[in-house]
Amino acid sequence: MADKFYRTHVLVCAGAGCVSCGCQDVANAFSREIELHGLGDEVKLVMTGCMGSCNLGPVAAVLPDGTFYEKLTAEGAHRIVEEHLLKGRPVEDFMHREGDNIVLPKMEELPFFKMQKKIVLRNCGVIDPGNIEEYIARDGYSALAKALGEMTREEVIDEIKRSGLRGRGGGGFSTGMKWEFTAKAQGDQKYVLCNADEGDPGAFMDRSVLEGDPHSVIEAMTIAGYAIGSNQGYVYVRAEYPLAIERLSTAIRQAREWGFLSSDILGTGFGFDLDIRIGAGAFVCGEETALMASIEGKRGEPRPRPPFPAISGLWECPTLLNNVETYANITWIIINGADEFAKIGTEGSKGTKVFALAGAINNSGLVEVPMGTSLGDIIFDIGGGVRNGKAFKAAQAGGPSGGCIPKEFLNVPMDYDSLKELGAMMGSGGLIIMDEGTCMVDLARYFLDFIQDESCGKCTPCRIGTKRMLEILDRICHGLGQEGDIELLINLGNQIKDSALCGLGQTAPNPVLSTIRYFRHEYEAHIRDKRCPACVCNSLFDAPCSHTCPAGTQVPQYVALVANRRFTDALRLIRDKNPFTSACGRVCNAPCEDKCRRAQIDEPLSIRALKRFAADSAEIGSLPLPGKRISRAAGKRVAIIGGGPSGLTAAYHLARLGHLPTVFEAESVAGGMLATCIPPYRLPRTVIQGEIDMIKATGVEIKLNTRVGKDISFEKIRKDYDAIYLATGADKGWTLGIPGEDLQGVFDSITFLKDVNLGKNTIKVGESVAVIGGGNAAIDAARTAKRLGAKNVTIVYRRLKEDMPAASEEIHEAELEGIEIKLLALPIEAIGQGGKLTSLKCQRLELAQFDKSGRRSPKPVEGATFDLPVDTVITAISQEPDIQFLGGEIKTRRGGTVDVQASTMGTNVDGIFAGGDVVSGPWTVIGAIGDGIKAAISIDRYLGGDGELASDAAEITIPAAPEDVDDIVETPRVCCNTLAVEKRTGMTEVDLGYSREQALREAARCLRCDAGT
Amino acid sequence: MSSHTCECEAKAKAAQEEEARLYEELDVIIQKHKEVKGPLIQVLHAAQELFGWLPEKAQARIAKGLDVPLSEVHGVLSFYSFFTTVPRGKHTIRVCLGTACYVRGGKQVLEKFQQELGINVNNTTEDREFSLEVNRCVGACGLAPVVTVGPDIYRRVKVDKIPEIIKKYRGS
Amino acid sequence: MKTLEDLKKVREQALEQMKLREGKFSAKVVVAMGTCGIAAGAREVMAAILDELDKRGISDVAVTQTGCKGLCEQEPTVDIIKNGQSVTYGYVDADKARQIIAQHVVNGNVIGDWVVSAS
Repeated sequence: MADKFYRTHVLVCAGAGCVSCGCQDVANAFSREIELHGLGDEVKLVMTGCMGSCNLGPVAAVLPDGTFYEKLTAEGAHRIVEEHLLKGRPVEDFMHREGDNIVLPKMEELPFFKMQKKIVLRNCGVIDPGNIEEYIARDGYSALAKALGEMTREEVIDEIKRSGLRGRGGGGFSTGMKWEFTAKAQGDQKYVLCNADEGDPGAFMDRSVLEGDPHSVIEAMTIAGYAIGSNQGYVYVRAEYPLAIERLSTAIRQAREWGFLSSDILGTGFGFDLDIRIGAGAFVCGEETALMASIEGKRGEPRPRPPFPAISGLWECPTLLNNVETYANITWIIINGADEFAKIGTEGSKGTKVFALAGAINNSGLVEVPMGTSLGDIIFDIGGGVRNGKAFKAAQAGGPSGGCIPKEFLNVPMDYDSLKELGAMMGSGGLIIMDEGTCMVDLARYFLDFIQDESCGKCTPCRIGTKRMLEILDRICHGLGQEGDIELLINLGNQIKDSALCGLGQTAPNPVLSTIRYFRHEYEAHIRDKRCPACVCNSLFDAPCSHTCPAGTQVPQYVALVANRRFTDALRLIRDKNPFTSACGRVCNAPCEDKCRRAQIDEPLSIRALKRFAADSAEIGSLPLPGKRISRAAGKRVAIIGGGPSGLTAAYHLARLGHLPTVFEAESVAGGMLATCIPPYRLPRTVIQGEIDMIKATGVEIKLNTRVGKDISFEKIRKDYDAIYLATGADKGWTLGIPGEDLQGVFDSITFLKDVNLGKNTIKVGESVAVIGGGNAAIDAARTAKRLGAKNVTIVYRRLKEDMPAASEEIHEAELEGIEIKLLALPIEAIGQGGKLTSLKCQRLELAQFDKSGRRSPKPVEGATFDLPVDTVITAISQEPDIQFLGGEIKTRRGGTVDVQASTMGTNVDGIFAGGDVVSGPWTVIGAIGDGIKAAISIDRYLGGDGELASDAAEITIPAAPEDVDDIVETPRVCCNTLAVEKRTGMTEVDLGYSREQALREAARCLRCDAGT
Repeated sequence: MSSHTCECEAKAKAAQEEEARLYEELDVIIQKHKEVKGPLIQVLHAAQELFGWLPEKAQARIAKGLDVPLSEVHGVLSFYSFFTTVPRGKHTIRVCLGTACYVRGGKQVLEKFQQELGINVNNTTEDREFSLEVNRCVGACGLAPVVTVGPDIYRRVKVDKIPEIIKKYRGS
Repeated sequence: MKTLEDLKKVREQALEQMKLREGKFSAKVVVAMGTCGIAAGAREVMAAILDELDKRGISDVAVTQTGCKGLCEQEPTVDIIKNGQSVTYGYVDADKARQIIAQHVVNGNVIGDWVVSAS
């Protein structure tokens, strides 16, 4: 609550974009200057959320006058306080400029607000819809006066035709042509209809216009009446909009009182009246012929066309039908002229379009933009981006008749033709934004369910065809999908498109066809692997956390064991599948937490921290070795090439089946990346060694310092072993490909980290280190360099902080430790003297178009470079596998990874399997472990076993879920404990883990999704 | 004993009178709409408003009054989901399943209501307290998921808050 | 209304009247009352504003409603127009509405933390 009041507020944007470009400095400067000038009691400094103009940051707004400053510096803050706050003279230097150097001081005039162009919504939210005078005061009814008084009917129609206005209800037919056809039709009685049966779930612009500016529709319909020669109109409104009906009724009554609806409007002799017809909950009534049947008081069934309504419509009279948004454009066109209107938009799509932004978006609501504005601009600049910082997955445009647009097409201009090309459609302008939490198969099923429910049943393709499609989708969502289902859906869909009677039926298959077009892999995951990647189709799984874990860890079960203080059992249960419990409890990227259902209530469970706690607290002394289950093919020799998490996991499970796995490891220690690259302050070496010892104890032989291709030939291994698992990882670092890279002092991160972690200490870091890249390897290298004594460590990354692939907590810790992150910068040259590195020349970048990953891609800011004085550069941009030793027989993919069949991990050569980073490229530890488990199953099968792994799970009783979970109290996740920054010397572990009390509290938050409902 | 009979009779009489009054009102509505072109749906709206549902007797009265076959009245009202021929519970709970509500968890909200009330969609609890229905977008997508109970609107409904919502109306 | 001339006259009159009427007021309070606004609690906000003005015995503040301005996410929204300047507040509830009346309308202090935009 505000307890004190200030004459002025300075709002400094602290959104992620600005924070990364230095707004903290600016805020500090403001704070200092305000104090210095004794304004502390009058001016309040407020850190706000993102103002949506990140590319201009740091930005600040001064209230109450609304002046907006951008690209601020500490010096700028000083001048603004001195000039603007003290003397009342706004500082023009930091105001927004565009093109001709015009100063635009107000927030409304920034691109964020300016991207919207309000024609349809011009009065919405501005006037009191219940007061006709306010409408008149804003030029209301002057278009009618102009049309009736100064224009002939033909001139009105011509104006609309020339404007290029196309129907906003979905079809996109030329409005002027429609008017012309109806005007030319023969008939004593003609009707003007307004379609306000806004049935597309997710679109609500028509409702908004009727509620906020009803007179604009009345006026436009009257003008239409004049143009086509009609004296009676009907507005068909859906019953779900009681407020719109009320406001429109009031407006019609007022229009009659004021004579705008009368038998002699404005003394011109032209008469027109308007009535409301209320729908009764039938989606099909949005189709024009069905709508007319409904106005006639009949069942709202469509009929074949021709005859078109312009010839024979309502009560078989010539009828003009437009939707609300189309009408809301008319008065603007009459007043401002067709030419002005045609200046807005694209070649084939003129004017503006209102979009209803909803779903997983920060600013849901209505936006009106010129036709052709890109989807990405609408979502990110106007809509403020995807909710909760999640990644954009797709947008559904056009509701149940439309299609989805995936992230690859964020640059698409939103107009009729471009959307059609993508298999979507403009429809009425509903735009539902979806993040990774939406299952596209389930979404298609949802729309088809909707269509099935709303199909009027008149024609067979729609009635029966969509039912068949729904049955197939239901099957797929329930894990009963079969090979061929996708093709069947496509066939049925195309047939329905060609043969259904009306628009509803013809477009009904669109959501299915477009989701298959862009998300076929999701259908395949449901059909082949019985997996729902988004964790939505809940017949396929109990708990989303377990479903998501590549290792299939039984998460709720072990969390319940922790909650019951049975820590040793918890550890036994986890390592029954994943031998790297302690390591994963520290460095796993925890995809399970992203899907945790607890997030729907407050925050996701801290699953990783609980895993670590279980591993750290178990009484190792009383822990039996993991049990065995001797395979009927037991005793086979399996070579595992690569002793990282993937290889060791496969070896562990094969040993438990009674096979004889031998691991060949090139380095002097086992553990792969866990031991050589991840620094000890994240993962202490004793922890990883303990887990490797446990694996060895199950019967795994590890040959260290044995590089295949050098110390032993691949051919010999093939001869001596019954099966091979390739898990050599991806540790060949990419180079930057810039001049000067060969200078002394430039290293790649893997070489550097291995050198440090294996105790070779051949690389000496200097005083000033630049690390290039944004992934975990970059952060590891930077924090390690700092620990080795580097004074200044700077990470150079080419996008924004939120785009960095590294874990957010790692980025946070790095900054706490004093590491600077330079964003939107790209090294272009390493400069040296006498063969030694002295500085790094960087190009400044700015964000432009969206790329295929759905992120804005950086492009150079012409002429803007800077030199970073450094003596060490560590590159961490990406890695690839080094598999030359294999020869050419094994099939690889582009990027040098091994090609395998995803379900078996089998390569093209019989008996040779592969998994982990050598297949996926640099990926996650838990992904590598998951591959190891899959490979162990396939290898046992290949050797003649049944592929069933040994398991101790049956010996561990899982505590029952509490019965009454109705009264869940919102409790945030228990925060973790970290080592104070000043104590972070050497390689001491930073994350301290939970205390027993904290772990019990956190474990109690689990909703036990495994127990069902 | 006799006093009880009296009370019952009095109640029955009052109910009869109330019903007679409603049908008189219905007649007025029918008369008013007779002048209008294509009146059937609008009359059905008014009648449902009056009775809360559309009893067979009222359907017959409308057919006669508007001079259309009863089969047509039935054909029209069965086509539109807004009309109901069974009495609803005291409180009608409508869970919005428009796309925005759906992608923001409307399905889980609906499932929880079904579980808590022990009824399926378009059914009424045995004690006639609650009816459960599904809405196709009320147009408040910014507040998804949305649930309406009678005239009250609940926005951004979380599953764990549902028992609380039901409790509020039970017995009131 | 009979003629085109009448409309012009009416329009001028309407403008004049609005100006006159607004001239009598020290401030104007506009509550967005579309379906989403109402669903988010705009009616309660409106009631609180009227009650607060009444309690304080203020009669020179105009209170009106308007339709949806597209900011559905931040509903209920309230505009305060005072001294030729318009400020939009978002996520207003009855309690905030009372404070906005007390601080902004009466004392002229904008409550920066709650502002969506200003012009």
